[in-house]
Amino acid sequence: MNAILAATVKTPDIDWGALGPLIALTVGACVVLMTGLLRSPAARTNLVPALATLTLIVAGALAIGQWDSNADVLEEALRMDNLALAMTVLFCFAGVLTVALSLRDLAPRDAGHGEYYALLLVAVMGMVVLASAQNLVTVFLGFEVLSIPLYVLCATHLSSEGSLESGLKYLIIGSVGSACLLYGLALLYGATGATDFDAIAQAVGGGEIRGDVLFLSALALILTGLAFKASVAPFHQWTPDVYEGAPTPVTAFMAVATKAAALAIIVRLFDVAVVGAVDDWAPAMAALAVITMLVGNVGAIGQSSVKRMLAYSSVAQAGYMLVGVIVSTRLGVQALTFYLVAYVLMNMAAFAVIVARERETGLGDDISALRGLGAERPTLAWPITIAMLALAGFPATMGFWGKIYLIDAAVDNGWAWLGVAIVLGSSLSLVYYLRVVAAVWMPSLESSVAVAARPAGARPIMAGASPEADDVADTRAGAVPAGGDTPTASTARGTHEERTDADIGDGRDPSGRDRAADRDHVGRDHRHVHQPEVVLVAVACAAAVLLLGVFPDPLFDVARDVGEAFGNFD
Amino acid sequence: MIRSYLPALVFVVLGSGVGIAFAVLNGLLGRKRAVAAKSDPYECGLPSDVQNGFRFGISFYLIAMLFILFDIEVLFLYPVAIQLEAFGVFALVETIIFVVLLMVAFVYVWRRGALEWK
Repeated sequence: MNAILAATVKTPDIDWGALGPLIALTVGACVVLMTGLLRSPAARTNLVPALATLTLIVAGALAIGQWDSNADVLEEALRMDNLALAMTVLFCFAGVLTVALSLRDLAPRDAGHGEYYALLLVAVMGMVVLASAQNLVTVFLGFEVLSIPLYVLCATHLSSEGSLESGLKYLIIGSVGSACLLYGLALLYGATGATDFDAIAQAVGGGEIRGDVLFLSALALILTGLAFKASVAPFHQWTPDVYEGAPTPVTAFMAVATKAAALAIIVRLFDVAVVGAVDDWAPAMAALAVITMLVGNVGAIGQSSVKRMLAYSSVAQAGYMLVGVIVSTRLGVQALTFYLVAYVLMNMAAFAVIVARERETGLGDDISALRGLGAERPTLAWPITIAMLALAGFPATMGFWGKIYLIDAAVDNGWAWLGVAIVLGSSLSLVYYLRVVAAVWMPSLESSVAVAARPAGARPIMAGASPEADDVADTRAGAVPAGGDTPTASTARGTHEERTDADIGDGRDPSGRDRAADRDHVGRDHRHVHQPEVVLVAVACAAAVLLLGVFPDPLFDVARDVGEAFGNFD
Repeated sequence: MIRSYLPALVFVVLGSGVGIAFAVLNGLLGRKRAVAAKSDPYECGLPSDVQNGFRFGISFYLIAMLFILFDIEVLFLYPVAIQLEAFGVFALVETIIFVVLLMVAFVYVWRRGALEWK
C-alpha cells in the first residue's frame, strides 16, 4: 500500500447538535416536497402545511435548546452564537406565520403545495446559514440558498402577471446584488488572504491593509451586494415593485425575514471581520443609512397601495437598523437585535391584515380596502392600528423601545447626529402611517350617509349621485392625486387592476376605481371570508407588540445575551 | 498594487485589439458570397431566424438540464471513491446523505413527470 493510500484524511469534526436547526430544515424540506407528490388532495393541502409548520417549530426549538452555547461548527464555517440562534428562532417564527397566511392563498395552489412550502423551508435554511456564517464562502452559500427560493416564491402565483413580473424583477436585480457581493468577497480574500472572519479580523487589525484600494473596493462591493438584499437606498428600487407583485404572504416573509438575515450578516461581517477598519466604512455606511431613511420615508408618502407603502417603510426601517451596525459597539448589536424582533412582529401584524382584506374586498392592497375597518372589523382594525403606530415609534409599543435603543447606541458612541436622523425620519413617517390609521377609523362620507339612509347591504342611494362625495372618496383613497404623476404609480395601478381581475372572478370590471369603490361599499358584507388563522396572526402579533412594548424586559435580556456573546468588542 | 494588474491590463487591451482588428479586416478585405449555409450558425441546432409562431420542444431542454444536473452530482462521488479507506466511516455517512438528497430530487422529477417525453 503506497503512501497516498495509507494517509488518513483528517475529517471535519461535526457537531451534529449545533447543526440541529439546519438538519431539521433540510429533512423537513425534503419530506414536504415528497408529501406534495401524494395523490390525495387533502394530504397536499392539509398535511404539507402541517409538516412545514412542524419543521419550523422543531428547528426553532432546537435553536432555543442550545442558547448560550456559542459553538463554532464545521471548522468555524458557522458560528451558532446567540445572534445566530436568536435569528434562527426569528426566521422560524416568521416562517410559521407565513405558512398560516398562505393556507388559503392562491399561490400554493397555483405552484403546488409541496413546492411552495419546501421552497419556504429552504429559504429559511439559507437565512440560518447566512445569519450564522463566519466564513466568506459560507456567506455566499447562505446568500444564494436564501435568494433562489425567494425568486421562485415571488412568482408562485402563476395566474397573475404581476407575480411573474415580480419574480423576474427580483431574479435579475438580485443577481446583480449577488454578483457584487461575490466580487467583493473575492477582493476581500485577495486583500486579506483569508476567508475566515477571525483571520480577516487579524489581518485588518494588523493595520497594513488599511487604506489599501483593493480592501476598500472589497468593502464597497460587499456592502453594495448586501444592501440590495436589505433594500438599502440607493439599491432599493426593486423593493416596491417586487413587494407589490409577489403573493402577499411571500411579501410578508421577504419583508421581515430577508431583511433580518441581511442585517445579521452585515453586522457580523462589518462588526467582527472588518471592525478594525471601522473608520473607513462607518462614514460611508452612515451616509447610506441617512439616504435610506430619507428615500424610504419620502417614497412611502405618495403610495396608495399599502404593500408599496410598507415596502418603502421597510426601506426606511433598514436605514434605522443600519445605525446599530455603524456604531460598532455591543450596545449597537443589542439595539439591532431588539429592533429586528420588533420589526418582524410589527410588519407581520400589518401584512396579516392586508392579506385578510385582499381576500375580503377584492380591492387588492389598495388603502381603500381598509376604509371603515374600525367600525366593521375591530379584530383587524386594532392590529393594523397598533402595527402602524409601532412602526412610527409610538410609546407603549415595541417600536418605541426599538428606536430608543438604537438612538441610545448611536449617542453612546458619538454618532448623535444619526440619532437625530432617526427621530426626524420617524416624524416624517407619521404622515403615511397615520394615513392608514385614518383610513381605518374615520368613516368615509358616503358610508356615513348611507348608513343613515339605508338598511345594511342595500346599495347606497347617494354613492355615485353626488360628485362631492366621490371627490372626497377619491382624495381619501389617495389614488387620484398620485395616479397620473409618476410612472411607478401608474404601473402600480396597472398591476393592481390585473391582479384584481385575475383573483376575483365575480368582480371583472375594467372601468376602474369608481366602480371599485362602489363595490367596496356594496360588496363588503357579501365577501366575508372565513379565515381565522389570518386574524389570529394579526391579533397575536399586535398583542405581542403591545405586551413587549409595555414590558420589554424579557426581550432586553435576550438582546443583552446576544450582545455579550457577540464579537470581540472591548 | 495597481502595477501588479499591468499584465492583465495588457492582456485585455491586446485581446480586444486583435479581436476587433480581425473582425474589421474580414469585413473590409474578404470576398462576399451569399450562400444559404453561411447564414446558419452551425450545422445543427435551431434555425437562426425563427418565425413568430415557431415552437420548439421544451422537453429537450428539460432532459438535457436534468442530465447535466445528475451527471455533475455523481462527479462529486469520485474523490470519495479514490480515498475511500482514508475517509473511513465518515465517507460512508456523507455519501449516504448525498445520495439520499439526490434520490429526493430524482423522485420529485420523476413523479412530476419531467422524465416523460411530451
